[in-house]
Amino acid sequence: MKEYDAIIVGSGAAGGIVACVLAEAGKHVLLLERGRELSFADVGRDHLRNQRLAIYGHNAGPELNGNPRVFVDPQGRSRIVRPHELDYHNNAACVGGGTRVYGAQAWRFHPDDFRMATKYGVPRGSSLADWPITYETLEPYYERAEWELGAAGDGRTINHQVPRRRNYPLPPVPPSPQTSALEKGASRLGWVTTPVPLLINTEPYQGRAACIACKYCVGFACPTDAKNGSQNTVIPRALATGNCELQTSAIAASIDVDSQGNVKGVTYFVEGVAVRQSALAKVVVVSGGAIESARLLLNSRSHHSPAGLGNEHDQVGRNLQGHLYPRAYGLSTTKVFDGVGPGVTIATTQFSHDNAGIIGGGMLADDFIKPPIDFWYDSLPPDLPRWGIRNKEFMRDNYTRVMHVRGPVQDIPNPDGRVTVDAAMRDKWGIPVARLSGTTHPATVEAAEFMRERGEEWLRASGCEKVWSAQPGLILSGRQHQAGTCRMGKDPKTSVTDEWGRVHNHDNLFVVDGSLHVTNGGFNPVLTIMALAFRSGEYIARQF
Amino acid sequence: MKSETLRAVVNCLIPADEFPGAYEAGVCDYLRKLFETDLRDDAEFFTTGLESIELEARARFGEPFASLIPEQQTITLEAIQYGDVLSSWQISRQRFFEMLVCTTTEGFYSEPQQGGNRGAVSWTMTGFEDQVNP
Repeated sequence: MKEYDAIIVGSGAAGGIVACVLAEAGKHVLLLERGRELSFADVGRDHLRNQRLAIYGHNAGPELNGNPRVFVDPQGRSRIVRPHELDYHNNAACVGGGTRVYGAQAWRFHPDDFRMATKYGVPRGSSLADWPITYETLEPYYERAEWELGAAGDGRTINHQVPRRRNYPLPPVPPSPQTSALEKGASRLGWVTTPVPLLINTEPYQGRAACIACKYCVGFACPTDAKNGSQNTVIPRALATGNCELQTSAIAASIDVDSQGNVKGVTYFVEGVAVRQSALAKVVVVSGGAIESARLLLNSRSHHSPAGLGNEHDQVGRNLQGHLYPRAYGLSTTKVFDGVGPGVTIATTQFSHDNAGIIGGGMLADDFIKPPIDFWYDSLPPDLPRWGIRNKEFMRDNYTRVMHVRGPVQDIPNPDGRVTVDAAMRDKWGIPVARLSGTTHPATVEAAEFMRERGEEWLRASGCEKVWSAQPGLILSGRQHQAGTCRMGKDPKTSVTDEWGRVHNHDNLFVVDGSLHVTNGGFNPVLTIMALAFRSGEYIARQF
Repeated sequence: MKSETLRAVVNCLIPADEFPGAYEAGVCDYLRKLFETDLRDDAEFFTTGLESIELEARARFGEPFASLIPEQQTITLEAIQYGDVLSSWQISRQRFFEMLVCTTTEGFYSEPQQGGNRGAVSWTMTGFEDQVNP
């Protein structure tokens, strides 16, 4: 049986970084990825089958057949869901994970995002808590993520007093006609704005080309490889050391323990190989994303851990969260679409916190370019007929005149939004699948409603003659921003890991990904996932 | 799938103006392929729905759907959309109409390679496609 210093399960935003840090520290690493390595052509440009609009399928895994989950709706009815359905709460399964096809917004969390319970108290029914670390602890690692992967932005205009030692390595994306309209609107309202930070090469960086401003960013792969994810930054670095073995199409079935209950390795299946394989390691790092990481721990049962590894206090899989996304639209009197991607340019962080009567808040930004069919599904006014000549005329006249504002709202977690493993349903390997249930807390919906109103207000102030909006209700919010299922904390009764991601009472088992997030910020979470991965990776390299 | 009915139905959903209607853009070809592949399990359901449109058109106006004037076609489809039908429906009217509108629109606005947006007409129409930044 092969033996490694470390086995890392998952090559996404976190797993790729941990692999890189360990391999560069001289550790011998096995990086397991359940998906394949996808070329630009593999991902393609199918408008109906991508990670943003997945009507008949999607483009970055997992495969539609053989990978079911069970979803339990708020009325308690359960059903089997396939990977491209919304209720599957998919994140891409391929080398690079979600970063292969993400929009790459590179926000740091606000300092108050790390102390939500102290700032707001704990609403009844919620599991709101402080992080065991502060923004200041994470700041150097945010900087590492920005510089080592490559982020574009303007550090001077991020207005929420986030202390920052160093600016972004790359200048922000250029403004579009929509940007100046929204800038003027915000200034009329007395709101501050900032360019949206993105992990995109606005100039050539680290040997790769610059963004060519195409119309296919979020949901797709980049034609010039200018979008910075794990697959084109840290994983190549890890492989270049010669210390990291990347095994694709390999799904972990369980984390193995010895007769004393100590973690000793991982058992996994490789596509095309009928028998399962096992490998040994001094340390195991679980980086499968909030749903799959929880599933793997829960499926790793022994007589020492009958309810799954790290689950002595029934915490693994709880507090599943993501973000609700209020959306507002306005009809501009002039053309605001110039076909220059990625499309997202300007944001306001005016409402991240300190909103009267609201717990938390959120960020609002303009949007990535939407292909026309995505626009038709997402962005039409509710009083417009969905077919006939009026619908066609609206598409003809207004596709280039609709301004878009949306953003993630700080999720107020609760223990009933959760991942368990289904008692009956198994995937094609025979591994019990994730069962998702619960919703976010009503306080999240209140914050989202507040942010939806701010979105409408912004568009009206920006000169839109007609404004409309859409608001998600009380739903489970995981999806691509999934987080929270193995939260870090000081008390083993209310958390799964310590501040390094080390599973309580298991010296050599770590979770490193969005699962660790105690709360998920009012921002896209990926840069925080990356910062935590650099920090935990350094720690693990020192310990093993 | 009776082609003259389908042709008339998709052109009622997305009519021709200075830009082609759904049929001229290739949506019927798109739908034929879709119901042979991703939606093959719904092909029979969809065909039954189209036959039901025919029955409704005849019950309402005594003519095949394709022979009706545009206003009568619109009235027929609105009757089906809002449940004000004269014919009896053996399948879920709501589910069929949702599928009809969505699949037709998907064909018309998705990329030309899928078959329903010939010459990228809807992209030119919306302004999604331009010369500067294809």
